[in-house]
Amino acid sequence: MGKTIAEKILARASGHRDVVPGTYVEVTTPCPTVIAPHSAMDKGAGLIQEWGTTVFDPTRIKIVDGHYGATASHDAAENRRVMREWTHVMKIPAENIYDLGRQGIENMVAVEHCWPLPGECYFQGVNGHISTAGALGAFASALSYATAAYLLTGKTWVKVPRSLKIIVRGELPAGTCPRDVSEHVLGLLGPSGAVGMMLEWTGPYIDRLDMDGRFSICSQALFTGAWTAIMNPDAKTIEYVKAHTTAPFEPLKSDPDAEYARVVDVDVSHLEPQMVPPPKRHVVRSVRELEGVPINRGFIGSDANAWISDLRLAARILRGRKISRDVILNVTPGTVTILKQALDEGLIRAFVDAECVVPTPNEGMEWGANTPLARGDVCIATGQTNYPGRMGSNDAEIYLANPATVAASCLEGKIVDPRKYL
Amino acid sequence: MPRRLRGKAWVFRGILDVDWEICPYSLVRDLKRKGPLTYEGLGRYCMTNVDPVFPQKVQKGDFIVAEENMGYGHDHDHACMSIRGAGVGAVLCESAAPYFLRNSIDHGLPVLEIPGISATVRQGDELEVDLEQGTVTNLTGAVLTFSPFPDFILEILDAGGLYPLHKQRLDAARDRHARNRRPTTA
Repeated sequence: MGKTIAEKILARASGHRDVVPGTYVEVTTPCPTVIAPHSAMDKGAGLIQEWGTTVFDPTRIKIVDGHYGATASHDAAENRRVMREWTHVMKIPAENIYDLGRQGIENMVAVEHCWPLPGECYFQGVNGHISTAGALGAFASALSYATAAYLLTGKTWVKVPRSLKIIVRGELPAGTCPRDVSEHVLGLLGPSGAVGMMLEWTGPYIDRLDMDGRFSICSQALFTGAWTAIMNPDAKTIEYVKAHTTAPFEPLKSDPDAEYARVVDVDVSHLEPQMVPPPKRHVVRSVRELEGVPINRGFIGSDANAWISDLRLAARILRGRKISRDVILNVTPGTVTILKQALDEGLIRAFVDAECVVPTPNEGMEWGANTPLARGDVCIATGQTNYPGRMGSNDAEIYLANPATVAASCLEGKIVDPRKYL
Repeated sequence: MPRRLRGKAWVFRGILDVDWEICPYSLVRDLKRKGPLTYEGLGRYCMTNVDPVFPQKVQKGDFIVAEENMGYGHDHDHACMSIRGAGVGAVLCESAAPYFLRNSIDHGLPVLEIPGISATVRQGDELEVDLEQGTVTNLTGAVLTFSPFPDFILEILDAGGLYPLHKQRLDAARDRHARNRRPTTA
């Protein structure tokens, strides 16, 4: 009987011939891991120091300062200091440290460097949106509370997931982008549609999609109750990996007769820009149902939509125009590499001319660490979540949307269908 | 931690989000400003968005019984810390969100996925859970079974969590090393 890519990777990583969904195994990986100053100590890194012991392999630990940017809040300075001290004690090599000015959102920096490899597990001590790395054909998971244990031993346990296969067909209409595909599927599956599962994204639409779009779609797995996402590596994946790393790798793919918990077929040819109104994450609507809602804050960024293709889409709408006088729009490129490319393409100039705020690459506004919201603010954002308090005040509202919808809505000071600008 | 648990069932319905129903994210952010998070500190707010007096009512060793997708949302472990801090002995659910499952076990809180549990247990039922045998006995008579955890997971739960287990092993290794270096009496 055939196996899914997830089962094959876990078999390799656990040293078993094969693995059974629902059982528990211990796994290792040759890939490095990433930790970040905003969360590493919470996740126990300090214990290693306290116990007077050390990490399993300092050369395989990368530090990426991706959540704060230049913020003065959230104990950024102190957490940075503590992390720096920790890296000295643990003898993390200097070239493994991606400090402010050299970095970006952790999940995006990781895939830019191809630290996750096709056919392997990949773990990070940052957050569950590392599902982004599934687009490289890796089994990607956050470690969360187990971070320090992984740093100590280089091992972690997993419960082998069943897989849910999504087949995506059709061409996306103008004004919609890969994020709308994943929001649409979230709406179809519901918050409990894939509990504990691996989302395996396939189909002609995925085959034609560029890597930015694949990363963006994979970043949002957990809102369906799924654990993470993955795509079977193809020529495009291999080309990307070889262009970004010299590390050896051996890709794995699902067998044609692999068993899935469910198979979902989706046609995106008539998709409309999607939105998620506050306060629940799993209620997905078309932009047409929410047009006219006044907004005064906007955000384009986060590991869902801080890729160069997202910035290009936003710039198409904002170029030559200015946002509404009542609006503050924060556009944050995801990494230093993307920022440089955006500068070369004139996108940053377009944003600044449109009177946007353009911070240094980081997750920032997504979790209230840059340009936070105050009581009464209504924000339209490409962030990952919208629960009360996420971006600042508990009494602010967050509407999630694609970058085109955010840009167009900030021009008018209310939610608008971006297609009229494209 | 004992492998046989006994307590009262506290039944909750619907989606229980780690950042809202179980323990609000904004509250955790505010608590962090006052110092490091503790089980007890978070336990005071366990499920208060659903039942404001749950932490006062729940007795040590009682169970939370939930439906599917228990612990939905981000990989934020303050939720399972809050449940453990409130004194809950184990969580029984139809299915668990994957990061909630990982974090709970690593924090020494058993989370058992038992299809059918939410239909057969009512609020206030006395339950006995056997982690080794894989049974939940409702003292009204019904018995449900579940796949027991493998030994290496039970070891984490026995120790009270991943870090107590690793500390035990580290200390044992150091003791052995120290004994080996001591000169023997001839």
